[in-house]
Amino acid sequence: MQNPNPDVDNPKEIYEDGVVVRLVQFAVLWAVLGMAVGVWVAAELLWPTLDFGQFWLSFGRIRPLHTNGVIFGFGVSALMATAFYSVQRTSHVRLFLPGLAWFCCYAWQLVVLLGGLSLLAGWTSSKEYAELEWPFDIAIAVIWVCFGIVFFGTIARRRIRPIYISNWFYGGLIIVIAMLHIVNNLALPVTLDKSYSLYAGAQDAIVQWWYGHNAVGFLLTGGFLGMIYYFLPKQAEQPIWSYRLSVVAFWAFTYSYIWAGPHHLHYNAIPEWVQSLGMVMSLVLLAPSWATMINGIMTVSKAWTKLKTDPALKFIVLSLAFYGLATFEGPMLAIRSVNVISHFTDWTIGHVHSGALGWNAMVTYGTFYFLVPRLVGVPLHSTRLANLHFVLALAGTLLYILAMWFAGVSQGLLWLSVDRFGELAYGFREVMAGMKPYYGLRLVAGLLFWGGTLLMAWNLFMTLRGRRPLAVAPPPVPEPWRLTRGPVAAPARVGA
Amino acid sequence: MQSGPLFSLLFDPGTVLRDLARGDRARARAVRRYLPLLLALPPVSAAIGGSLFGWRLGTPEPLYLDAGQAVTVSVLYLLALCFGLFTTVGLARWMGVTYGAVGSYRIYLAFFVVVCAPLAVASLAHLFPQAFFNLLVMIPATIWSMTLLYRGLPLVLHVPPERGMLMSSALVGWLLVAAVSLLGISAALWTAGIGPSIRI
Repeated sequence: MQNPNPDVDNPKEIYEDGVVVRLVQFAVLWAVLGMAVGVWVAAELLWPTLDFGQFWLSFGRIRPLHTNGVIFGFGVSALMATAFYSVQRTSHVRLFLPGLAWFCCYAWQLVVLLGGLSLLAGWTSSKEYAELEWPFDIAIAVIWVCFGIVFFGTIARRRIRPIYISNWFYGGLIIVIAMLHIVNNLALPVTLDKSYSLYAGAQDAIVQWWYGHNAVGFLLTGGFLGMIYYFLPKQAEQPIWSYRLSVVAFWAFTYSYIWAGPHHLHYNAIPEWVQSLGMVMSLVLLAPSWATMINGIMTVSKAWTKLKTDPALKFIVLSLAFYGLATFEGPMLAIRSVNVISHFTDWTIGHVHSGALGWNAMVTYGTFYFLVPRLVGVPLHSTRLANLHFVLALAGTLLYILAMWFAGVSQGLLWLSVDRFGELAYGFREVMAGMKPYYGLRLVAGLLFWGGTLLMAWNLFMTLRGRRPLAVAPPPVPEPWRLTRGPVAAPARVGA
Repeated sequence: MQSGPLFSLLFDPGTVLRDLARGDRARARAVRRYLPLLLALPPVSAAIGGSLFGWRLGTPEPLYLDAGQAVTVSVLYLLALCFGLFTTVGLARWMGVTYGAVGSYRIYLAFFVVVCAPLAVASLAHLFPQAFFNLLVMIPATIWSMTLLYRGLPLVLHVPPERGMLMSSALVGWLLVAAVSLLGISAALWTAGIGPSIRI
């Protein structure tokens, strides 16, 4: 399926795809485990005794295990895999320091594994999405810098003049996440398992949500946009509808996202103008987000005939629809007068999962269904299973969102209700007791989505079983695009 | 006019869709005739249920609206439904140029009446305004409506099935955004003090 090239005889010219396969395998493993923990968490909200009186099984410990497992285990492994795969193809050169790439692969899995166990043991910084304690924070920083060296080293050695748009997004992911991670986790260690943040009070909250929101922005959005900008045109066999729009969207996205964090702190003890700034910049974000969605939809619109035969493309089309929904809902929830109802309710959980399941997971599933058969040069084990997975993923995501919308709006309205004496009409426990049916529906939704993920794991395992990655060498670069180290006349237009 | 059009609309939509695909004007007119009834069902059911039986959002005691407020909310509900339907028809015609869809405005309108019919009839559940019960009733109705959209659109608007899938997905994207907008606008208005007061 890959184009044979005479340079395959030279091992130094062959793309380093072994590490890509291994990272895909780890990503699928973490998806299965992380989502299984998510299903368990959902069941605990329905039947709290499912913790069996064990501290390590309590909601407070396994909820961060779920989020860390899916974001850092599944998400980052998938991002590393696709970044390593695409940066070689778009730079026409083998990975820079392949040994360091393998180090990133295994060291990252070790951090996710040991970090997860530390969460179960009760080690936590108590910062959402940054719960891991200082030894893990240092390890993550080191691995991330190594990831950056491999990625940017490959780009520096490229043989083609343009730096394709997907690399801008992956590069943004690497630089900004490094900055966010290091700044937010500056802390004074007191023991191996405990440290105290360098920031205090409201400043700590602002730094934390500057990190938290931009982790969503540059990792769960920017990184996955890098994935879509490379793999969507490949799957559709069409160039990006508007390359210029993709570049404009990148800079607009990068500039506006970084300001939006304070919308997580509406009506909290931070200055009101900071909240308003966060709200306005969140609304501005709609423009670059939808620019990318439109670019993706228009690209795939030209490849509609492929939908009949390609289950991967269905995942991508659907992921774009959910990306549009989530990036519209996010700015709307950032409006203070909407946030007063939605904050601290399950509406937020529904919003997060419309992005996490509908966008992140689906675009990754579509990419894996495209990538894995090409890596080993055989067709997908079962297209039928992939189509069944698509139905389960769609049903699971929609059920999840609907259940959380109903639960969240009910919670928001009930908590704002006052009786004729002006006192709160309902207590927290009273409202939460009424949420059981929705939590049951959410559990069913989670099981459906997880079941689909299991099918994918089996399908990809059977596709990969006993096979090694094909030896593929970079194709020659045509003259107008070839990078020579001397002065070169700039081409008029950049192609994919 | 064909016999039992409302029955056909709900239980034999395949025949209705095929007739629309053939450009059967009588069938299209018969379908459109049910539009006022289908648009009125949700707000009327909500008004009756909300004022007589009260909404149950997860607490044992129902939340009642005064009859006047229930009527105001229902009129706004009706306006939102009209806006949603006619905007969707307009958007579909606009998108139809990109996807190569063929059909007059009347055929488009009749098609969306067929698609929305299960949801409108399922809204009779508003008569018993228990939020979770309504959710349970609306889920299968939504699935049925989406099936009619995905299966019917390529047939009625003469688009290849794969291209029809893309156009249907674009419309679902719009409808999801519209639903979220409605939620957000309602929440913002309520917070601003523009909304009904609830009797507990």
